Amino acid sequence: MFTLFQAEWFKLRKTNILPILFTGPIVGILIGLFANTDMFPDEANQWTGLLLVMNLTYALLFLPLVTGILAATICRYEHQAGGWKQLLSLPVSREQVFVTKYFLLVFLILVIQLLYFLSFTSVGLVRGLTDTFPMAIVWKSIVGGWIATFPLAALQLWMSTMFKSFAASFSVNVIFTLPAILAINSAKFGPYYPWAQPFSMMYVGGDTTDVFFIPWEQLLTVVGGSFLVFFIGGYIYFKRKPI
Amino acid sequence: MIGKLLQVEFMKLKRKGIWFLVFLGPFGVVSLQMVNYGVRKEWFLHQGTYNWDYYVLNVSAITPFALILGIVILTSFMASIENETNTWKQMLALPITRWSVYLSKYTTLLFLLIIASSLLAIFSLLFGIYLDFQNDIPYVDIIRYSFYPLFAALPVLGLQLWISTVIQNQGLPITVGVIGVILAYMAYFIPDWLIWKWPSLDNQWNEPLLNVYWGLAVGIGIYFVGMIDFIRRDVK
Repeated sequence: MFTLFQAEWFKLRKTNILPILFTGPIVGILIGLFANTDMFPDEANQWTGLLLVMNLTYALLFLPLVTGILAATICRYEHQAGGWKQLLSLPVSREQVFVTKYFLLVFLILVIQLLYFLSFTSVGLVRGLTDTFPMAIVWKSIVGGWIATFPLAALQLWMSTMFKSFAASFSVNVIFTLPAILAINSAKFGPYYPWAQPFSMMYVGGDTTDVFFIPWEQLLTVVGGSFLVFFIGGYIYFKRKPI
Repeated sequence: MIGKLLQVEFMKLKRKGIWFLVFLGPFGVVSLQMVNYGVRKEWFLHQGTYNWDYYVLNVSAITPFALILGIVILTSFMASIENETNTWKQMLALPITRWSVYLSKYTTLLFLLIIASSLLAIFSLLFGIYLDFQNDIPYVDIIRYSFYPLFAALPVLGLQLWISTVIQNQGLPITVGVIGVILAYMAYFIPDWLIWKWPSLDNQWNEPLLNVYWGLAVGIGIYFVGMIDFIRRDVK
């Protein structure tokens, strides 16, 4: 299993992954520069306000979409010139390959989240925010958003092992991500829509007494439940996939 | 020659779900309004905004955004037919000029997008009629808000086609596309000179036609830059 991680790492280094990873902070900086934070009352913490505004677009659109791009990227090597055949003819099981790729994907999303954190801090520093830095809230948001992408990552990995074309798996991603714009406006539907969860988990205005910004029940049932469905679906598909 | 090449391009589009996407884009835009009006009809009535004009504006708020996503997906599909199967060599070994290959891809994409925009006009008209507003149907506005964004988005189309044909790894053009989508989503906050703002038809002079003119001019410019770059590159 460890050698598989090593192999994935080698492939990753030749995959042009850095430009994709750096879009996280770039998008963060773009949103941070253009967004308007004047609407908050003076007594509100400036950092929290900035995080709220930046997360609006970042968590709603960028994070779900980039998850799909990363998933397709880590499967690119195998889709070209019979790479699946070569990889699976090695003494490794298909289960191991799938799980390794999933861990790698989740790790890459964590990297993006951390880079986004850096861009958030720099935007704040450039703007010269003087309030105390709300460390707990910011980390809750960064880690929460990361956890909320677990089911999305599982589905996109499934789609990326299935489709050779980037555009195909990306369109599946878009079709599910766009309704999230509506879902977050609905109190009834929003909590149950997996693609709206990155937004809910990063939404600073939520309940701050819990560990994350959404209740545990919602985290376990919606995020956990959809993760299980997508992960098991992808796992079974990959096990039976004719190569 | 172009006619034959176009036939070839359309042949390659078969059974890839592309026609389904061309239908789904405009349908999705209008169905977001179905949900919107389904949930908030009372609110619109209460506000006195339950009329055609507001409805057309509501539809057009989502259009630019869906359009750019559509452009990103379709261009990547078109380019990946050759890129991901490594068949540029075979295609370009035929007795055809490179500019005509590029032109036929661009024309095919433009044709698909015009179909999508026409479907958008039809769907928004039909759902508007279903909603049964009191005032007259603004046919001109519906057509305007369905097609202006497309012309204003031509620079994005040119850019995406350029980078997805010359870059083999489709992850990069799609990433550029996602950044464009984010910018289009924030259209009202970004400066007028960014091409991703133009499909929103918003500018500081409040003149939607300006975005259309810019789109046509810059779109043609980017098209030629992309085509010349494509012609001069080595085939991998």
